[in-house]
Amino acid sequence: METFLYKLFYDTGALIDGWHAAANAAGAARGWPPLVVDILFQLGWAVAAALFLALNALFIIWFERKVAAKMQLRRGPNRVGPFGLLQTLADTGKLLIKEDIIPTAADRPVFRAAPFVVLAATVLLFVVLPFGKGLIPADLNIGVVYFLAISGISVIGILSGGWASNNKYSLMGGMRSAAQIVSYEVPGVLVVLSVAMLAGSLKMGDIVRAQPSYGYALLQPVGFILFLIASNAEINRGPFDLPEADSELVSGFVTEYSAMRFAFFFLAEYTNLFLAGAFATTLFLGGWRGPLLPPVVWFLLKSYIVVFVLIWIRWTFPRLRVDHLMEFSWKVLLPLALLNLLVTAVLVKVL
Amino acid sequence: MQAPLAPRGIALVLSGLASLGKGLWITFSAMFRKSITVSYPEKRVVLPLRFRGRLVMPIDPDKGDNRCTACMRCVKVCPNHSIDIDKASGPDGKPLSKPASYRYNLGTCIFCNLCVETCPFFAIVMSDEHELATADPSRLVIDLAAEKYRLQGKKGSWWQKKFRGTGEEA
Repeated sequence: METFLYKLFYDTGALIDGWHAAANAAGAARGWPPLVVDILFQLGWAVAAALFLALNALFIIWFERKVAAKMQLRRGPNRVGPFGLLQTLADTGKLLIKEDIIPTAADRPVFRAAPFVVLAATVLLFVVLPFGKGLIPADLNIGVVYFLAISGISVIGILSGGWASNNKYSLMGGMRSAAQIVSYEVPGVLVVLSVAMLAGSLKMGDIVRAQPSYGYALLQPVGFILFLIASNAEINRGPFDLPEADSELVSGFVTEYSAMRFAFFFLAEYTNLFLAGAFATTLFLGGWRGPLLPPVVWFLLKSYIVVFVLIWIRWTFPRLRVDHLMEFSWKVLLPLALLNLLVTAVLVKVL
Repeated sequence: MQAPLAPRGIALVLSGLASLGKGLWITFSAMFRKSITVSYPEKRVVLPLRFRGRLVMPIDPDKGDNRCTACMRCVKVCPNHSIDIDKASGPDGKPLSKPASYRYNLGTCIFCNLCVETCPFFAIVMSDEHELATADPSRLVIDLAAEKYRLQGKKGSWWQKKFRGTGEEA
């Protein structure tokens, strides 16, 4: 029993590999093709990811509201459940029973599909997220590239949602989001590239293992900050929340969405927030590595600290102007990221 | 002579970064300050004397009755006709300077205090009552003369000082 618990927390990968092998053996005994067994096994990962996604959104929305309240000398949610922890659950219940309004002039199929495209793009990212030692659904050779590529898909959902709403504010929000993500992806990718150079691999697991115990954040301080800024802009939050700038665009691309479709956009947004924290943890903060505590705990702890920093930034800084946003990306972040890449490349060759 | 462009730009960037840090510090330190929210249903604030709750026509303890003379000034000054007075009449059919009924419509009242200010006899006053929601619209029209409200506590003595007074306005 003790060894099982130890394995469950400290060596989860080996445990899961054991289960996978057992499942394969059981499947082979019944004459099932290995592909079927694999698909069933992956379904388990999918269920786990969906469960985590829901719980994480539940927690992170409460956390953001609480932090925002504290920063504004308010109390924040404190009615539903202990410390208001179940507030999000109550809100979700409310959204579930709300009327699902689709504007008459909307492009119905696209309008209906958009929230699911955005959410699917975030769920797919869990495939390469290393939660612990071996606790990663699929440690792809090109995990980092996969992460960057799939996270770019969500902009299609946002843009099509804005387009299909047939509303000028929605469309403007969608366009802004597309322009913003395209612009900020470039410095973000360049920074990730310099991390990949240091680690010598694009595999998430290898990058975590290649890091010194203090993580790449100290070797790449400029890169770390650039990455935080770029990912903050890519998830459309805080001083970069132009796609849903309420003071100008009502609510941007979600203006026409209501009920569960709105909730899906919301869920995707908060999952993206966690994913930004998790990706930063993996690349710069040593991932699941850390003394004493189980890897999963370390990973979540570090991720939520990054999430806190992003929330902190959101509730501190005012929103940028559109042209400033673009200038900041192309004239400041991009040259800095290129310089960072150059210095990293030289140092990797020399040292 | 102005400094060359590059150092000036660097100084600008540095001061900008410093200001970002300052902003972050303000929000971070605010997290450890005490919240200013009052958890309303459980905790209540002490209302100031001049708080404007719903209108009442208190009983003057010296007189044993309200101080209204049905002069209709409050009816005239009310911006949305929330007050309606019927004059009382004596046994000989002549009108008395007393209200038979003083109907105050809470539903249209905007708590502007004009009726209280205009009343020459300090007959009406805005009380502390502020939890006024009701599901029954008929309860919104209150006959203040029939109500025989007793204004107690600090607000009561503050009100009585106005007409007992030392000759000057309290």
